[in-house]
Amino acid sequence: MTLFLARHRAILLAYLGMIVLLALTSFFSPGFLAGSHLRTLTVLAAFIGIVALGQTFVIIGGGIDLSLPWVLNCAAILMTLIAKGQDGPLLWVIPLLLVAGAFIGAINGIGIAVFGVPPIIMTLAVNVILQGGILVYTGGTPPATAPQLVQFLAVGRIGPIPVVAVIWLILAVAASFLLSKTAFGRQLYAVGTSAAVAEFSGVPIVRTSVLAYTLSGFTAALAGMLLTGYSAQAYLGMGDPYLFTSIAAVAIGGASILGGSGHYIGTIAGAFVLTILTGLLPALNLSNGALLIVYGVVILVTVSLASEAFSDLAAALRAVLRGGRATAGKEPS
Amino acid sequence: MDLLQASAVSKRYGGIAALSGAEFHAAAGEVHALLGENGAGKSTFIQILAGAVRPDEGMINFDGAPFRAANPSAAQAAGISAVFQELSLIPDLTVEQNIWFRHEWRSPLRMIRRKALREKTLELFARYAFPAIAPDQEVRRLTLADRQVVEIAKALARDPKVLILDEATSSLAPRETEWLLGLATRFAGEGRLVIYISHRLQEVRQVAKRVTVFRNGQTVAAHDTASVSDDEIITEMLGRRMERLYPERRDTATAKLALKVRGLSAGSRLRDVDFDLREGEVLGVGGLQGHGQRELFQALFGIGKSRGSIELWGREMTARGPRQALTGRDGIALVPEDRRGQGLLLSKSVRENLTLAVIPRFSSGGILSARREKALVAEMMTFLRIKAKTPDQVAGTLSGGNQQKVVFGKMLLTEARVLLLFDPTRGVDVGTKGEIFTLMRDLAAKGYAILFYSSDQPELVHVADRVAVMQNGRMAAILEGAGISEDGILRAAMIEKH
Ligand SMILES: Nc1ncnc2c1ncn2[C@@H]1O[C@H](COP(=O)(O)OP(=O)(O)OP(=O)(O)O)[C@@H](O)[C@H]1O
Ligand SMILES: [Mg+2]
Repeated sequence: MTLFLARHRAILLAYLGMIVLLALTSFFSPGFLAGSHLRTLTVLAAFIGIVALGQTFVIIGGGIDLSLPWVLNCAAILMTLIAKGQDGPLLWVIPLLLVAGAFIGAINGIGIAVFGVPPIIMTLAVNVILQGGILVYTGGTPPATAPQLVQFLAVGRIGPIPVVAVIWLILAVAASFLLSKTAFGRQLYAVGTSAAVAEFSGVPIVRTSVLAYTLSGFTAALAGMLLTGYSAQAYLGMGDPYLFTSIAAVAIGGASILGGSGHYIGTIAGAFVLTILTGLLPALNLSNGALLIVYGVVILVTVSLASEAFSDLAAALRAVLRGGRATAGKEPS
Repeated sequence: MDLLQASAVSKRYGGIAALSGAEFHAAAGEVHALLGENGAGKSTFIQILAGAVRPDEGMINFDGAPFRAANPSAAQAAGISAVFQELSLIPDLTVEQNIWFRHEWRSPLRMIRRKALREKTLELFARYAFPAIAPDQEVRRLTLADRQVVEIAKALARDPKVLILDEATSSLAPRETEWLLGLATRFAGEGRLVIYISHRLQEVRQVAKRVTVFRNGQTVAAHDTASVSDDEIITEMLGRRMERLYPERRDTATAKLALKVRGLSAGSRLRDVDFDLREGEVLGVGGLQGHGQRELFQALFGIGKSRGSIELWGREMTARGPRQALTGRDGIALVPEDRRGQGLLLSKSVRENLTLAVIPRFSSGGILSARREKALVAEMMTFLRIKAKTPDQVAGTLSGGNQQKVVFGKMLLTEARVLLLFDPTRGVDVGTKGEIFTLMRDLAAKGYAILFYSSDQPELVHVADRVAVMQNGRMAAILEGAGISEDGILRAAMIEKH
């Protein structure tokens, strides 16, 4: 574990940031650290964390998935429409929609890896197509409410622990295992670092990329259904905020947006940081618009701190602490 | 009076001492060779001179005054320009834009003046009789050799007093090498200094008046080139005597065909090539650079589209691609030309690089076994004597020669018995070169079949059993036995075919 952290200093920084923010928040609103608040925090972070899981894999592989919002939204709306508020059909509706999400992800991956469509174009197009499709399909009818079962999954508890946190934990363990311990994970990092080198080394590039996007579609669909449970209904546009937050969580978690580095363990901290920030800002008593501006700026700053600049700063600080002079220049890599 | 004096220069990277108290003195008007085995600290030293790396300790005097460059631009302004071992051109810019990068003449509206740029480029090319390269060509389309030439132009464009060439000939063909050696001599003749790093002693003898030898980050000797023998220099570099560079030639070829290639074509660069590679044979591939050798190696490995028949151990290869080629003992492995672009994940560890092509060898059901991976890595690092502090050292921080060993090791781990080696000794020190040649012969004796291209002609002559000479994408001749000589290769490469 210590070796892991030494190699992933950015991840350590993300957790440090998270702790600092927690401390700040409890300073501004005493009692924040009470169990119930932490629970809400975890639940909200779980939604970001689950959407960002697939995004983490895609970004490590050197791509980006912009189709998440409407994959999420489609799964949410279709679930309510098909299940009509009943728990019974969920037994097949949930698996079906998870597979459908994975399928959309696979289409993304095939377009990108097989046909060479740039990831931004491919996933953006799929996002728009899904948006259009669902508008045509629903024809503006108000979607039905969420069945009890998904509401339980999203807001229910097992003892003191939220169900969704358990789901998140299981996914997190699985994701970390995939990244660190499997051939797929190793190959994903290679493809994201250099597709050419990976190709010359016989890495199955197409399979690896398609798998990453498939996973992304899967987690987006899952998050869509859980979110429906949380808000007790599905509505148009519910996935939109998750595009930005999923990417930001990955970046704050220490991954390079250019691919080849990062880890889901970092993304988890990223999800918490974003959630705490969202909770912290309303304490500033700003209008909604101003809040968004501040939110955007803060994320921008956080992400850039989490990358290059901050490691330089950290290096300079360490040098000062060691009593040496701070050498400002960087060594060329 | 020495133009450049460096004393007690030290540089550490974490736990690794790249330089520990190196000394260097060189006078104006000379070509001064800097020699040493892989990882001796040569590149680190010249990076310090050129302002790319800061030393931890040490004094440098340049032109009679203490000198310390904060960055490469400052060093260039002071008159020191370097061609670094690892190329640094911007692929999306043209040749001339790269050469004059950040020096472009701008009109009052800060627009780059294209005409001036072109004129200056042609003037520079003419002044130093550069090989023909179109100034408006995008660098991404150039071969490695041409990129190297552009790097040299870029360094000369600053009209420096000191020109540093770090293994600049390692990817050049004999003709361009001759050109560069001539250039170095002329440049020094103008009362300036050339610091010349190379692993090819022949070249060093040809141009350098003096040599300084580094070992383990320290200066072990400095001589007039004429006053020492190659053997003495090699002993100083390695710290031990080397028996011989080229292993005894042994005829280990059997009648069994490893590769039978008929009518292989790819694009316009590879046309209708036929040849056989036998089990136990080292087949050299020669010819002037850029006559289809690269395309041949890539086509055999399955990069890009190709037509024609390839039989591997008697079986026609229908599906082609690196994945189809890298299939264990009966497969084909390629050590590619471009170490940094095709061979290495620079930001990943030595371990991850070494095992990238053999993940199935240490995983079961898709799950990796760290223990089995470690064993494979340890074995290969010892076998090739890869100089890294730990297997987890980032590959991009190894010295150039050690990076090359990692690429080589990655392919050896695949156990493929048909090896395509495209310039496998590029940037590798004499000691290791000898080891690689011995290894090639040993592998051949074990039944491997090796196709071997080298930009260093003598290697082909001394190591290959037969040499196939390419011209305009075709096999112009296959030389055998006494017919193999540098002269013979050159003649076969130049003969007009009708
Ligand atoms: N950025 C770095 N981080 C860690 N170690 C480094 C770094 N740069 C160089 N080194 C180490 O310093 C030592 C000297 O490297 P250097 O590149 O100067 O060798 P060299 O003499 O140029 O070798 P070669 O002939 O292989 O190019 C090597 O052991 C190398 O691994
Ligand atoms: Mg070097």
